[in-house]
Amino acid sequence: MSSTKPDRQVRISRIAGRYLVFDIDDVAYIRRNHGICAVFTGTMPQNPTQNVFLGLPVELYAEEAKLLAERKAGYIADDPADHLSQLKAMDTSARKAYIQSLNVQRKNAKLVFDEAKTQSLAKHKDKRKAKTPLRDATDQVSLPDGDALFDPLPAQPAKQLHVKEILPAVTPTTSNALIVPTGDHPSIEVPSSYPLYKYLNVRGYFITPGLRFGGDYSVYPGDPFRYHAHYLANSYEWDQAIPMLDLLTSGRLGTAVKKSFLLGGRDPAAKNRDQGDEDRQADGDLRVFCIEWAGM
Amino acid sequence: MSTDQQQHLEALTKIVLNNLENQHDWTQIKVHTQANLARPVIFGLPPKRLYVHPDEQIATIKAEKDRKEPVPQTPEFEWVLPLHLAEKWSLGQFAAVFDALDAIPPSAAHSPDDEPDADDAEWKLWRGPKRGKRLLLATVQDDSTVTYYWMHDGLVKPRQN
Repeated sequence: MSSTKPDRQVRISRIAGRYLVFDIDDVAYIRRNHGICAVFTGTMPQNPTQNVFLGLPVELYAEEAKLLAERKAGYIADDPADHLSQLKAMDTSARKAYIQSLNVQRKNAKLVFDEAKTQSLAKHKDKRKAKTPLRDATDQVSLPDGDALFDPLPAQPAKQLHVKEILPAVTPTTSNALIVPTGDHPSIEVPSSYPLYKYLNVRGYFITPGLRFGGDYSVYPGDPFRYHAHYLANSYEWDQAIPMLDLLTSGRLGTAVKKSFLLGGRDPAAKNRDQGDEDRQADGDLRVFCIEWAGM
Repeated sequence: MSTDQQQHLEALTKIVLNNLENQHDWTQIKVHTQANLARPVIFGLPPKRLYVHPDEQIATIKAEKDRKEPVPQTPEFEWVLPLHLAEKWSLGQFAAVFDALDAIPPSAAHSPDDEPDADDAEWKLWRGPKRGKRLLLATVQDDSTVTYYWMHDGLVKPRQN
């Protein structure tokens, strides 16, 4: 997948062993350019919602975090430590700069609000105009002094708007303006299924947690908004003995939900064997098989 | 391989062979042994076509639009790997079987219908050069139930059932 903005560095916050992304632009970027949709986990503790309505932050699999770090599209940040050390070390000039940046955000927010307001005002004006001829006709006959009653109302709020310049309150969703990325990034422990994850991601597949179809991963041929999953995938060691019953039940389950059961793993001996094949070299030595019911 | 194991594999192969012949009406069934195969495999001709790749389905629909007549769905020879439910297989063992076998079983290599005049229509390629490696896992249980599952070599998208 080609990245339009290769310079973008996604900040992946590691908090309590989980990999979280808080910036909505980063979330859109990794989804568009790296085929990573991850899982929305954010909710309000006082008012938990159904999981289809969850919001920021997005939680990445360790595999996804590692892939982004490998591609230099993101970096892992030890968020609690960074915050503690950098916030303590903050001097007055840094504080001022931060407050300044907040003010800029508030001004921007005000611009957006004002634009929305003028737009909606214009819209309502049109509506009122469309109606006025009718009302005028009746009003003028029965109440000749009606104009005097209704005229001042629209004029007053307009005047007040110009007088007070109150900026809207802004609650930043990230602390990006406060924290400067440090050079040292913690390493990532990935499960042994990472090679399979990478193999599928490189081929343009989107991967979500596999529990809903009974595997390690659910594998989609494109964005899950558009496609149904093609595979439920499990990763195995090359010499791991897999009970036939496991293969058959997974194959059966996959077929029941119109998917194929994909099993794959790394062949430790394949590196020497497939020197010529470019595709194989790129993923090292991964081999996959697909199982589905034969219908007989 | 000990004689016990050999006997077990022979019996297993026989159960699958009988099941294919008598329950599923397969014909021209043969047991195939090869030096680099850990056990005998079976190939044969099912009574009707068992597998159509989803992309072949698309090619067929396109071809039928031009031909104004249905594309023939003649059965193809298929590989069958006899297994017992109690067995455990690794990726490495499956890979060894696929590496040892050709995509098309030996009997099918000279089937009459896709011979000389072949205009290489897209739908025909799926029965020849474009056919991927696949085999039927024929799993036997002690009550002699045999279940059949496709195993494909590589990423093969699911069929539209």
